[in-house]
Amino acid sequence: MIELKNVSKEYEGGVKALNRVSLKFTEGEVVVLKGMSGSGKSSILSLIAGLCKPTEGEVVVDGKHISKLADHFATSFRRENIGMIFQKYNLIVDLSVQENILLPLVPLNLKNDELEKRLNRELERSNLVSKKDIQVKKLSGGEQQRCAIARANSNNPKIILADEPTANLDEKLSLEFIASLCEMKRENRTIIIATHDPLFFDLDFVDRIVEVGYGKIV
Amino acid sequence: MSRVINFYLLSYSIGSLKREKYKNIFLFVVISLLVALLASTFFLSNAMKSEYNTLIDTYPDIVLQNQKAGVAATIESSIADKLLLLDGVKNSEARVYGSYYFNHADSELTIIGVNMFTPSCSSFINDLMQKHSLHRGEILVSSNVKNLFNNYYYKEYFNFIKSDGSLKKMQIDEVFKNSKNFFNKNTLVMLKSDARDIFDYKEYEARDIAIDVANRDEVVSIALKIKRLYPHMNVITKEDLQVEYENLYNFKSGFFLTIFIISFFTFFIIIYDKLSGLNGEKRREIGILKAIGWRVGDVLNAKLYEGAILSLSGYLTGIILAFVYVYLLNAPLLKNIFLYSNNLLKDYTIHLSVEYETLALLFFLSVPIYIVATIIPSWKIATLDADEVMR
Amino acid sequence: MIISPEVLTIYIIDAIFILFASVAFVISVRIVKNYDVNATTALQYELEKKSYLVATIIRCLFYIKVPFFLFFIFILNNISFVLPGAMCGAGVVNSSSAAVPLLFLKLLNSYLFAYWILLDKDDMSIESQPYIKQKFFLYLLFYLLLITEIYLEFSMFLNIDITSVVDCCGVIFSHTDGSYMAQFFGLPASFYITLFYGNFALLLLSYLVKSRYIFALLNLIFVIVALLSLIAFFGIYIYELPTHHCPFCLLQSEYNYVGYVLYSLLFLGTFNGVVIGLHLFSVDVQKEKMRYSLIFLMLYVSTISYYFLGYYLKNSVWL
Repeated sequence: MIELKNVSKEYEGGVKALNRVSLKFTEGEVVVLKGMSGSGKSSILSLIAGLCKPTEGEVVVDGKHISKLADHFATSFRRENIGMIFQKYNLIVDLSVQENILLPLVPLNLKNDELEKRLNRELERSNLVSKKDIQVKKLSGGEQQRCAIARANSNNPKIILADEPTANLDEKLSLEFIASLCEMKRENRTIIIATHDPLFFDLDFVDRIVEVGYGKIV
Repeated sequence: MSRVINFYLLSYSIGSLKREKYKNIFLFVVISLLVALLASTFFLSNAMKSEYNTLIDTYPDIVLQNQKAGVAATIESSIADKLLLLDGVKNSEARVYGSYYFNHADSELTIIGVNMFTPSCSSFINDLMQKHSLHRGEILVSSNVKNLFNNYYYKEYFNFIKSDGSLKKMQIDEVFKNSKNFFNKNTLVMLKSDARDIFDYKEYEARDIAIDVANRDEVVSIALKIKRLYPHMNVITKEDLQVEYENLYNFKSGFFLTIFIISFFTFFIIIYDKLSGLNGEKRREIGILKAIGWRVGDVLNAKLYEGAILSLSGYLTGIILAFVYVYLLNAPLLKNIFLYSNNLLKDYTIHLSVEYETLALLFFLSVPIYIVATIIPSWKIATLDADEVMR
Repeated sequence: MIISPEVLTIYIIDAIFILFASVAFVISVRIVKNYDVNATTALQYELEKKSYLVATIIRCLFYIKVPFFLFFIFILNNISFVLPGAMCGAGVVNSSSAAVPLLFLKLLNSYLFAYWILLDKDDMSIESQPYIKQKFFLYLLFYLLLITEIYLEFSMFLNIDITSVVDCCGVIFSHTDGSYMAQFFGLPASFYITLFYGNFALLLLSYLVKSRYIFALLNLIFVIVALLSLIAFFGIYIYELPTHHCPFCLLQSEYNYVGYVLYSLLFLGTFNGVVIGLHLFSVDVQKEKMRYSLIFLMLYVSTISYYFLGYYLKNSVWL
């Protein structure tokens, strides 16, 4: 379903993040990318999401050559197929919970009732119904995390990409997050988690652990 | 087909404007003040233009002026009778009028000389003479002038100082209502013989000859005929005057426009600068939006919406401010630039006269220019690399 | 030469147009030369980013140009008060040799820019971007037209002599004048009625047949037929004066600014009609454009007929 073929990524200033990496993920698979910070695992996620282009090689997601699409189309693809969860939640802290959850849907210009439906579904699932009008910066860390997951889910993505999702969470919240991942797995989504948190390394629902180091698969 | 305007995007833009309150309030205030300033000058100059136009409407179709050494000189009254014989000329009049400087009050008065029984070329005078009668040594004054005279205790009569220094005492006979037009406000009317006496004109002299034409389409050809008869004199048609005033006021407001444009461009450089220099927080926000599926076009639209909201509301506020300033407050300070400060004109109230092109012109100078000025900064924002949020 | 705040505004907006259109031009040249969808070079990414800038600039220019065109005509009418002899915009147009080509060019450019925006929209909906080079190449041509238009505009305002007497529309569009215009006015009313309504009937027919080329061609012809019959024939029913043939007086307040409505309807209708001949849209979009074209033109025809028949109903006599 997702395939990286001989991909290299070099950032401005000559920093080589990935060096001829080839990887494959199948549908419904949960994969953990394990590695130190700077090992290139975040770059893999960026490339799959079409957030940046490889310097070399090809990225194919769901039959589409993501790396060759213009930004416009890569983004369209992303918003239909990929949900992203970031290290620092990456919510817009001045907006309310529901505004944050709806943010991915804004450019779609959907009808009101469709929007309502998706919002309520995500609010209920993330247990944030009572907080929907509260600014995100007034929420606790766990609530922010749940809000970020709700946002990633709001466009019904097939693929979930999580970048160091538990780096800022304590153990209790981390376990909560893992529980919600487990639920997503049940919905048959493809999940890729880039992390160096040992909590992820012996979970029973994780299908595969791939170790990344110095821009290569170890 | 999706809706033309994406209201969710619009409300995101409004929210985004609110989140940077101080910066945007500053931009809004500057836009509305600049628009208000220019709109006020335009409203005022439009008001003056329409005053002149109503004044010129009362003017004769053609005026014949004598010239000596390039300056206006007196003309022989008898020419009026000769012109009457020309085909197409309805009426002609040797006019005796001029301004008189009233020393104590530091005011210019306009003296108009009339004949009791021959019709004048001015509808204003004809109307007046239907209602009032005049005798030698009497003057008719406007209520404005009457008040002025009262202030200096000239209740019954007024002393004019002639050019040889002697006094001419005139009885204040009747008062007529102020003309609506402010250029007619400081008028007094007397017989032509009295006026000649005050201006030191000889019996056969007049200031100029006014000619009314039966068919307006013939004005130009009759003016040419008169010019052929009196090649050394100056023939001025009503339309010439209209064009002249129009140009004068266009020039005056053009001057303001130039200042305005300079200030506006300075302002847009500031905007450009402000929008280009993004802080880390904002960069991250754009990165997030792109990561969760906003295309370049969506971010650009959001930014353009922001610009449109800001400039449109600034424009509207500016126009409203100008309305209040000019028509409700009567344009304090600015009025003095446009009107020479004459005591008699102090109570002049500005009549509402709004021209659509002024509103359109100000619109084009503020809203689209602002939006265009934000294109490049917005584009720079919208094409930031989204993967920054991952680092 | 004429200096008024309105004309100064036109100069300023024009200057901004030149600036931004030129930025877009330079980028377009690079895109036409170097764009390669399959490349993964830094240059390609840069060009891709810049292509969004060009599209945005062109879109903004167009959306400003349209109301600005109306403003321009409004100003022509206003300047006529300063020009001795002129009664409406026609006198101003007639006073400068640049004016007639300028008007045609403005009209043409409005159609072309609107076309470009549609082309861009279509291009951005297909992942392989099949029209990318075509659209930027077209823009290079449109840019030259735009610059010519602005040049003509400058030279028109610079050359208007406010001291010389010009003709009013009554003279320019007179029956007796020996000009080419006069020959059109001599044609009988039935000619114009047949031409106008006949053309429209054919349009309806071709809508049913759904042939995009015929529909577009008929629309193109309709632009000319509608304008000609408006000046020569239908206009007199709006003015209620058999000798008044002027495309500009319609835009004045005496006639409730009806000209702006008429010209806008005509533009929207014919543009949607003509563009489907120039570009192959998806079936749905094509249907939609045809429908829009027909709706706007129907409104145009009804408005014209309202004046034309309304006059007869009121006065039971034809002009």
